[in-house]
Amino acid sequence: MFRHTPLRYAVLAILAIAALMQAFTAGYFGLEILIEILILCLLVLALDLVAGFGGMVSLCHGALMGVGAYAFVALNALAGLDPWLAALGAVAITAAVAWVIGAVCARSHGIYFIMATLAFGQMGYSYVFSAPLFGGDDGIGGIDRFDLTALGIDLSDSRTFALFCLAVLAAAYLFTVAILRSGLGRSLAGVMHNEKRMKALGLITWRVKADVFGLSGVIAGVAGVLAAQHIQFISPGLMNWTVSGEALVVVILGGLGTLVGPLVGAAAFVVMKHQLGEITTYWHLIVGVILIAVVMSRANGIFGWVEARWGARIERRLSDATRASTPKEVSTDA
Amino acid sequence: MTHDLSFWTLQTLNALQLSMLLFLLSIGLTVIFGLMHFVNLAHGALYALGAYIAASVAATAGFWVAIVVAPIGVALVGVVLYGGLIQRMRKSGPMAQVLVTFGLIFALLDLTRIFWGDLALAMATPPALSGQVDLLGVSYPAYRLFIIALGAAILAALALALSRTQVGAMIRAGVDNDAMAACLGINVERLFFVVFCVGCALAGLAGAVAAPLLSVTPGMGLQILIPTLIVIVIGGLGSLKGAIAGSLIYGFVQTFGAVLAPQLASVLIYALLAAVLVIKPVGLFPAKG
Repeated sequence: MFRHTPLRYAVLAILAIAALMQAFTAGYFGLEILIEILILCLLVLALDLVAGFGGMVSLCHGALMGVGAYAFVALNALAGLDPWLAALGAVAITAAVAWVIGAVCARSHGIYFIMATLAFGQMGYSYVFSAPLFGGDDGIGGIDRFDLTALGIDLSDSRTFALFCLAVLAAAYLFTVAILRSGLGRSLAGVMHNEKRMKALGLITWRVKADVFGLSGVIAGVAGVLAAQHIQFISPGLMNWTVSGEALVVVILGGLGTLVGPLVGAAAFVVMKHQLGEITTYWHLIVGVILIAVVMSRANGIFGWVEARWGARIERRLSDATRASTPKEVSTDA
Repeated sequence: MTHDLSFWTLQTLNALQLSMLLFLLSIGLTVIFGLMHFVNLAHGALYALGAYIAASVAATAGFWVAIVVAPIGVALVGVVLYGGLIQRMRKSGPMAQVLVTFGLIFALLDLTRIFWGDLALAMATPPALSGQVDLLGVSYPAYRLFIIALGAAILAALALALSRTQVGAMIRAGVDNDAMAACLGINVERLFFVVFCVGCALAGLAGAVAAPLLSVTPGMGLQILIPTLIVIVIGGLGSLKGAIAGSLIYGFVQTFGAVLAPQLASVLIYALLAAVLVIKPVGLFPAKG
């Protein structure tokens, strides 16, 4: 079961404030990095939902994001639909694809699940890579962003688009928390801990897994639509398995099954990539070594480590503080 | 669309050659997994390393020295990896292993770039094998026939070693039930180590023999990784039979798919993999039922 500890609230608040400050103060390049982080955040949120809370370690989430992006382009640029309708359609298509993948892979476990999702992801990748309809390996350019000029909002401006992405991310976060707190999310927790018992209790476990995978696909689809609108160009590289692998790395570096951790991980990963990329072209080496060190330390990522080390202490101190203070102050705190 | 006999012969040879290359890679990976339950995604990076070592050695000492030195070099890297990482990760779950080896891919990729640069290296085929051979009415490059023969020879040697020798019996026992094998006095840890090194050496050998066919680039390990994983998942983890069946299926589907149904070819093999996983979630010939 997902629970918001005071530490998680605090980190979320810090992240939100940092993102807002960055959105209002950064120059063009800083905004591009911010948008990149926000889109990666959406993807790792989707991945943490299935991997951290359902034990379904997926290597097809990058491809699902690609499905969202390509479906959006197909419906918008090729079929001529309104961007909003196209986005809605793209998210629905991604969710459907994810549901089917989840349903098919639900019987596999462990390494077989990883391989099966990898296979589906690569299937999509090689399809768009060779499909002339989608521009093959050249990709497609000239993608429209949403038109919000009626509301006086111009999304072609980087700053506005970054704020828009941030709003979408906030909505997606609340959506994920709502899923985890629903009956479905509780069933999912049960399936992750003891699938046999949940089956014996009469739960149709494959459907729980498929449903959550589908809902995760919704978020991945949204990430895809935003990714397509962000660079206004898509290529099959978006769907390659290394994208999914990197997303998984971010989830692990951040802290699997904490929701907040992967967001921290996404910000750290993108910033590290750009900072190290400036110093050396061999930044993969450094990321690789950090990844090995984090996994071998057996801590649950950066956030998991902080939580294990200081979470209890902070919680105790905060509960002491709330007991000492008047109820009025508590309600403004919350 | 009709094709004459020489077309089928030619494509069959192409398919066999691809199959044998994949077999060399997948057998190491699959036995390591079957015995140690260890998922080594960095296997492809070891293959790339083998290709690089071979290309460098071949430039000074010639091809034959290169295909001996490359497997040894890669096996030595394997020894270091085993001592430093893999031994400690043995008891972790598949996800931690996938991630550590994923990190290892990143690290090895950049290390090869640091040592050998970003440019593709070329390796010449040895003079003795650079000609064409007439076989069943088609003229076929001798070097590709050499790969088929080498793959077949190693396949036969491994099959014999696994089924007829004492070490083979110990390995089979370890795959079947490692705790029981250890109780019976088999030093399972040492067995793991030997198998891991042999697997690494075979990956290095695959890289060395593939180097003259392909250009040697840092990304070649990543390119071959997915086909290798498909092979072992279709075949079933841990078994020689699975690796053989998986490589042949992959080689033939890929080669004939590319010439007979080019539009479908790229998706075909993944669809096949998905179908296998749906029908038999543990592959065709898993080591354990």
